[in-house]
Amino acid sequence: MSYVDIAPWRLLIVFALLGSALFVSWWAKLDLGKDLVVGAVRGAVQLLAVGYLLLVLFRNQRPEWVFLVLVVMLAVAAWTSARRVESGPGARILVPRALAAIVLGSAIALVPVFLFVVSPTPWFEARYVIPISGMIVANAMNVVAQVNERMFATAKAERAEIEQWLALGASPKQAVARHVRVALRAALIPTINGLLTVGLVALPGMMTGQIVSGTAPEHAIRYQIVIMYQLVIVAAVSGGTAAFLARRALFTKAEQLRQLG
Amino acid sequence: MTPEYCLEGRGLTVTFGDREVLTRVDFALRKGEIAVIDGPSGGGKSTLLRALATLQALTGGELMEGGAPASSSSPRDYRVRVAYVPQAPVMFPGTVADNVRAGPRLRGVLLDDPRVETLLVRGGLDGSFAARPAAELSGGEKQRVAIARALANEPRVLLFDEPTSALDPESARLVLELVGRLAADGCGVVVVTHTRAHAAALGGTHYVCEGGILRRREVA
Repeated sequence: MSYVDIAPWRLLIVFALLGSALFVSWWAKLDLGKDLVVGAVRGAVQLLAVGYLLLVLFRNQRPEWVFLVLVVMLAVAAWTSARRVESGPGARILVPRALAAIVLGSAIALVPVFLFVVSPTPWFEARYVIPISGMIVANAMNVVAQVNERMFATAKAERAEIEQWLALGASPKQAVARHVRVALRAALIPTINGLLTVGLVALPGMMTGQIVSGTAPEHAIRYQIVIMYQLVIVAAVSGGTAAFLARRALFTKAEQLRQLG
Repeated sequence: MTPEYCLEGRGLTVTFGDREVLTRVDFALRKGEIAVIDGPSGGGKSTLLRALATLQALTGGELMEGGAPASSSSPRDYRVRVAYVPQAPVMFPGTVADNVRAGPRLRGVLLDDPRVETLLVRGGLDGSFAARPAAELSGGEKQRVAIARALANEPRVLLFDEPTSALDPESARLVLELVGRLAADGCGVVVVTHTRAHAAALGGTHYVCEGGILRRREVA
């Protein structure tokens, strides 16, 4: 099956249509015009760069190159999810923990799937490993960022309540149990909502892409089901790990709530 | 041999950044004794109380409880024996009874209704409060629920931070009476208070905490 190619110059037409967004920004005095333009250009440049990188990777199938891309992906995800935590203990403490949470969740969601479900040959085939890993790691990044943000913000806002629990003899785990639950639920809900509305509200990106490029819908759907479940697995494992690690960062050895941020 | 002091601090020092908030504080409390700590805002009295509750990390000094270093028991066990009631107690979600049961429940013990009622009465409320949502209580009522909640753990030492500051005179009188009864029952009680009349009414040993330094005050 063939598909309609987009000639590079036609991208400019879509870029010009972004003018409507600029108009809204100007009309509603949103002051987002600069961000919009910078974002549009930067996004396009990043994607072009990645496109060429993938091209090189596809032509030279080498496991170490695929591995390197995965490492960069994980590092950027960890850094991004840890840096904007306002009431947190700082990047030096948070980044390694975010990395651990993202790596653990991604490994559990990805490795068995590449071994037994999608199983490309060779196993490191970039065409499969990079895009699927990217989706999973991105979800881990978002969930970990949310868990961290909520855990540390709540610990600051609910300090009095948490200390009251400690004063009654609660363990750190008991003292923040309610807040951990709230943070994790909030972080998992978008992924779970995704499960419930998939196909009803929007066709997911990967499936859309496959269908547009000529894959039969019944094949594309199987891929999407795999991805969907992987997204849930990574959200739960990375989110749970992030919550566990955040809780440990919140308390001293003597079970005192640290003064952070 | 019974230890002389139920709670003892030796050279307690707390620093926030490079600011020393408590400076080598020595403090000792006997069983059945009431210690009243007064002093200006920011003088370190609340920090001292939090340090005695082990909620505040010490930069220096040693805390002894029942003749043994506080660090020799787990923080949880220590905090069950040494109760702390902050100035503005936070109510946990649920009813007043849920709040009173909170401490023992952490250790898997469920207090029965008569026990909850007894604790509420000791705290200066009556049993009819048990079923009420804790969030809807007045400041003074919350204070008394917090006291009942602390008593549910059957502590040996009680640390009160400004227990009467949110109370009307009648409720304050009840709390002061309760403090007296707790001491008479053999508990060591530390009360931080701003209110001179309440300090005087409590009797006991009086201290002033100012500039991070604790001094005995001789009451005429």
